[in-house]
Amino acid sequence: MTRPSIPVKPADWVRRIGTAVVVVLVLWSLLGLDIKWERLIDLPADLWRVAVLMFGQMPFDETGTLIAALWESVSIAWLGTMIAAIFAIPLSFLAAENLVGRPIAWSMRQVFNVLRAVPEVILAIALIPIFGLTPMAGVLAIGIGSIGTLGKLFYEIAEGIQPGPIEAVDATGANRLQRLRWGVLPQLLPEYASFVLYRFEVNIRASAVMGLIGAGGIGNDVAQALRFKEFGTAGLGLLIIIVGTIAIDYLSGMVRKRIINGPGATGGSRMAAPAPITA
Amino acid sequence: MTSVVEGAVKKPPPTPRPSSFALLGSLLAVVLTVITAITVEFSFAELIENLTRRNLVVEGLLSPDVSQVWSDRSLRAFIETLQLAILGTATGGVVALPLAMWATDFGNPNTPLRVAVRTLNAVIRSIPDLLWALLFVTAVGIGVLPGLLALFFFSIAVVSKLTADTLDGVDRGPIEAALASGASVPQMLHTAVLPQILPAYSSFLLYGFELNLRASAVLGLVGAGGIGARIEFFRGRGEWSEVWGLVLMFFLVVFIVERVSVSVRRRLI
Amino acid sequence: MIRLVDATVEYPNGTRGLDGVSLEIEPGEFVVVVGLSGAGKSTLIRTVNGLVPITSGELYVDGDAVHTMTRRELRRLRAQIGMIFQGFNLVDRASVLDNVLVGRLHSVPTWRSLFGLYSRVDTELAAEALERVGMLERSHSRATALSGGQRQRVGIARALAQQPKVVLADEPVASLDPPTSHAVMQHLQQINQNLGITTLVNLHFLDLAVAYGQRIIGLREGKVVFDGPGEACTPDVFEGIYGRSLTAEDTLTDDAELG
Repeated sequence: MTRPSIPVKPADWVRRIGTAVVVVLVLWSLLGLDIKWERLIDLPADLWRVAVLMFGQMPFDETGTLIAALWESVSIAWLGTMIAAIFAIPLSFLAAENLVGRPIAWSMRQVFNVLRAVPEVILAIALIPIFGLTPMAGVLAIGIGSIGTLGKLFYEIAEGIQPGPIEAVDATGANRLQRLRWGVLPQLLPEYASFVLYRFEVNIRASAVMGLIGAGGIGNDVAQALRFKEFGTAGLGLLIIIVGTIAIDYLSGMVRKRIINGPGATGGSRMAAPAPITA
Repeated sequence: MTSVVEGAVKKPPPTPRPSSFALLGSLLAVVLTVITAITVEFSFAELIENLTRRNLVVEGLLSPDVSQVWSDRSLRAFIETLQLAILGTATGGVVALPLAMWATDFGNPNTPLRVAVRTLNAVIRSIPDLLWALLFVTAVGIGVLPGLLALFFFSIAVVSKLTADTLDGVDRGPIEAALASGASVPQMLHTAVLPQILPAYSSFLLYGFELNLRASAVLGLVGAGGIGARIEFFRGRGEWSEVWGLVLMFFLVVFIVERVSVSVRRRLI
Repeated sequence: MIRLVDATVEYPNGTRGLDGVSLEIEPGEFVVVVGLSGAGKSTLIRTVNGLVPITSGELYVDGDAVHTMTRRELRRLRAQIGMIFQGFNLVDRASVLDNVLVGRLHSVPTWRSLFGLYSRVDTELAAEALERVGMLERSHSRATALSGGQRQRVGIARALAQQPKVVLADEPVASLDPPTSHAVMQHLQQINQNLGITTLVNLHFLDLAVAYGQRIIGLREGKVVFDGPGEACTPDVFEGIYGRSLTAEDTLTDDAELG
């Protein structure tokens, strides 16, 4: 008996071409970027130096000022989110195919898509010259930027509602607005509240970041501190950002769970939204 | 025995009162809105005044100048942004995979080490992209390198988070089979786990690339290279037509890349 | 070949998977373990390769004490013991060949296996194992493209590729239809007879146990309540092991005759 041998493997061209494209792109980037790679050797030392400067000697007497600045960031995020929610709720009804006609829904969705595509920072750049280096620029940047994401989430929820109650309200001869108020809203409000809170968590990060380019809040303080080489202040600010966002995430997450699962529910069941990723 | 209450006066059931949680929550939301509005000195008058004033930003938006996009410098900045996003995703994604695996119970039987990896992942995820850029600009100075480093860490955050969620759901059967045949943990991860998550992981890499491309536009604002630096240049000179021209072109690029990426991702899964 | 001395497995929640089991299995035996679900069949089989550690007592495989082994020694032990699973435990997205090569991992340095650099000897052993179960032609198919019976044959090939001294099979036919079940059992029987590999199989179909088991071990609540040749297994014996009268679900075919 001859020894068995494996049949020849058929070539998988899609895979080969895909791999080749990726390799070429990565090489092109690697060679194309104007980077002095030898600086990477010093990177750990540089990072350590900055870390020591930032966290070695933190001026704790500035804690109060920085927490006030964090509060400003949180305020910007909250107010922006509220403004976005106020606009997104009615607009999202116009994007739900089960509530309005297809052409209207389609065009509304395109508006949401465009708004979603614009990073808040770009909006802030545009708003700063109008409002000056004030928190208002941040509030509006977040408000406008969040209409797109909230609107999209809202119309997806609205399309997922059960038709039964709507039918029942329709059957009583209600008009369109009454149908919205009594047939649709009661089903939606808890999920809306939960998503608004989720968006708030994301927006806290966004507002901290926008401060870096001057739109108010704690980011502003950190950026200024780094510019004037007050590394201790920057380190303390960074620490406060991280601790603050984690704490608010935690609180907001608990409230969201309570909203979705109702009273007395303890973990395990569905969460309305995943933990935010900084984006 | 309880008798059926027949003939009792029929009343409509009372309207259910909203739960105290909902009432309290709504009240809190309103109070918070008022307080935050005071904190940021929100005023409608100012809002309307500022928005109705003659304003160069909006005028620039209405007449964007796309022509200078083809200038040598802007074109180079576009390419630089693309290369930054590609290299940042590739390097960060490669590091994210073992980090995600070492955070699972089957990939890392050593509990203290697992907790350490999970903490590291959480810290990396809690820092936003622009802040990474600012930190690296501080450490290594202005240039492309801090941008790349920022995207590297940002990619680790995104890809490791998504991959970790997928790892939670892998089929444990092949893991048991590999261990039962005497494979080491790295061998098991490579043969029994990696094939299961590879399509999802590739899709996360593409998604990370999309996010990185957007992020790379703003990196330049703090001195970390790419198209953002170009936008910042025109912004500093108040040339808003040029700014919007670049922004519009950039969104066109992002849009195209996203279309391609989404269709590839759909095929992967 | 396998010797348990007063072996007990107590799970963290307090339940006893095995309760003072003493057994000796000779090289080349074909042993079938029967018992209700929860009687400790899976636990017994998994103690042999250390997937479930015994909490007290002693366990020897080929003279080596399993209960005192380090992680590294356990890996060396597992390399000599092939295992076959109820759910096949194949990597669905990988090819048949890659699945069988998992059985060779123990002989490949980790860094080489990360690049898929298997030696010629390893590939030949995999090919031999695949041919033995009649799956060589399907080497490059994905595991998802196979039927249940074919997948279990790949599972057997994976175990064979290890060149094991012992094969453990945990309910290998529970997810298969009757004809396929017999085909898989016959594969196991041939491997036992032709290669002399000691084989330990969990089964819950009693007619299959009688048809294939040289020796049958009955477990009940973690204790050995029967140990004897297959011919000695009458329906009475099984009712004693199960602690209840037999039903149609206890056999693979409804009109099966036992004993």
